[in-house]
Amino acid sequence: MNDTLLWYTTRGAGAVSMILLSAVVVLGVLSSLRFQSSGWPRFLTPALHRNLALMTLVFLALHIVTAVVDPFTHLGWLTAVVPFSSYYRTLWLGLGTIAFELLAAIVVTSLLRNLIGQAAWRLIHWLAYASWPVAVVHSFGTGTDALSVWFIALSIVCVVSVTIAVTYRLLQPPADPLAVARGEFRSGVSRRPNQ
Amino acid sequence: MSGLRLLAGPDLRAGAEGYGDHVRRLGAPTLAGRPLIEALVQSRLTGRGGASFSAGVKWRSVASASKGTAVIVANGAEGEPQSHKDRLLMATRPHLILDGAFLAARTVRAASVVLYVGQEHKAAYAAMERALAERPDVERRIARMAAAPHRYVAGESSAAVHLIDAGIATPTTTPPHPRERGVAAAPTLMQNVETLAHVALIARYGDAWYRSAGRNGAVGTLLITLAGGVKKPGVVEIEAGTTIGEAVAMAGGMSEPAGAVLLGGYFGVWIPAAKAWELPLDAEALGAAGLGLGCGVVGLLPSSRCGVCDTAHIMRYLAEESSAQCGPCFFGLRALSDACSRVAERGTNRDDIARLKRWAVEVQGRGACKHPDGAVMFLRSALSTFSEEFATHPAHWRQQPA
Repeated sequence: MNDTLLWYTTRGAGAVSMILLSAVVVLGVLSSLRFQSSGWPRFLTPALHRNLALMTLVFLALHIVTAVVDPFTHLGWLTAVVPFSSYYRTLWLGLGTIAFELLAAIVVTSLLRNLIGQAAWRLIHWLAYASWPVAVVHSFGTGTDALSVWFIALSIVCVVSVTIAVTYRLLQPPADPLAVARGEFRSGVSRRPNQ
Repeated sequence: MSGLRLLAGPDLRAGAEGYGDHVRRLGAPTLAGRPLIEALVQSRLTGRGGASFSAGVKWRSVASASKGTAVIVANGAEGEPQSHKDRLLMATRPHLILDGAFLAARTVRAASVVLYVGQEHKAAYAAMERALAERPDVERRIARMAAAPHRYVAGESSAAVHLIDAGIATPTTTPPHPRERGVAAAPTLMQNVETLAHVALIARYGDAWYRSAGRNGAVGTLLITLAGGVKKPGVVEIEAGTTIGEAVAMAGGMSEPAGAVLLGGYFGVWIPAAKAWELPLDAEALGAAGLGLGCGVVGLLPSSRCGVCDTAHIMRYLAEESSAQCGPCFFGLRALSDACSRVAERGTNRDDIARLKRWAVEVQGRGACKHPDGAVMFLRSALSTFSEEFATHPAHWRQQPA
């Protein structure tokens, strides 16, 4: 296979992965907010979130495999698994490995959600907020295209979308429609034991 | 009102029977431990809180799970608005209940006993508290009172466990069932107070004696509450298998002709009066007919009253009693109640009738506890018993439920 083709594929798949991952994070935030509108029913968000996440894995696999098999870089398979084990751009590649492994943990626990239980799944899913920024930093540090205009524009769009979504989530009260009623009911049936 | 077994003895109007009188009248229980469990199994005694589960099987299961850590809960929450039997029993024969609870503690090797009594049942609560103070030291030391909040779901067994442990009387998901993992994560034997009182007598006179009462193949006695259109509403003790018609006669007969009977309280089912009279009041026989004894309430709806309006009022109550933990229960019961109220207030419309029928099926089985299931079972029985009334209801809102 042509080395140049491999190299282009690595870069392209990396950029696509970043777009997809950002979209997945935004959709995840939206589903926790129970977002819906007339043209966007609520079930769409989690379904899209899940499918885009699985698609991200495909592009990420392409990104990683093409990078590893590229004879020019001599990365070796260990780099894909063990962070900071690469001689080449040790720090930046290591961040990529970490972002990928966090994502893998999230996906695996999501697929096994019925087995591990809701609480454990939820806890691990918070790692998404670690995986995404690490991935973005990795793209800026390693990316051959990091300084090209199209890539910078793309990154800005991704970062701004995720920032807006997360900020909105932080400012919103919990979206649980039962929260108020449940609070009222519980305060009516609560007391200390032994009374 | 007088009684056969549980309510036998001094006049009920005299209030709680003291410990001394109780022991003089009945003597001490002779059975405990494994022989008592066997006697309970043989007696075919079932729980009187509503689920009618075999007491012997429950005791056996907790006894085998207990490592000296089990907890006994005597459930006297009685949140069912129409039922009065538990509060009457607690207020008049508290020591029968305590006998049963402490026999249970010895039998399943329990570390503690909790008397879970509805806080609104003031006389019953006070009587139980006083009775506990009269018991021997060894018993008193392991027992305590817990006040059940005045809400419908507070008597549900996981809600009782939740209150005793965490101070919040909301149901939690089962499994694990409290008998496996209940109060303080220990195996917990929860029994309705009436069930425990029956145990106290079986431990004295044996299972054959228990079975010697009962009619039409049913065994034992039970407390039922007669409500609505009867001349003397209140609690009576009847032989199991007594028909609804005979029980009504024991309450002085009907105050006016009845159109329907609500059997089992708000979690029960409506039955057309003509079909109800011959039904035997017995958990097993009713279960075989696809019905249930529930907590033993027999409510008569006079034919002058409107079944649709009463159903709407009760659905409103049940919707408001949802603990707002599960969406299908909170929103589903609310929607069902609203549709019922619309029919009651503004008259029949085909959309609401269709919605009621559809949603009543969709809500089923979708709560952590059985609250939504009980409510829709009640509603479905109303839709079939009052099918004509629902189909042709005029725009009125007649009256509060009896």
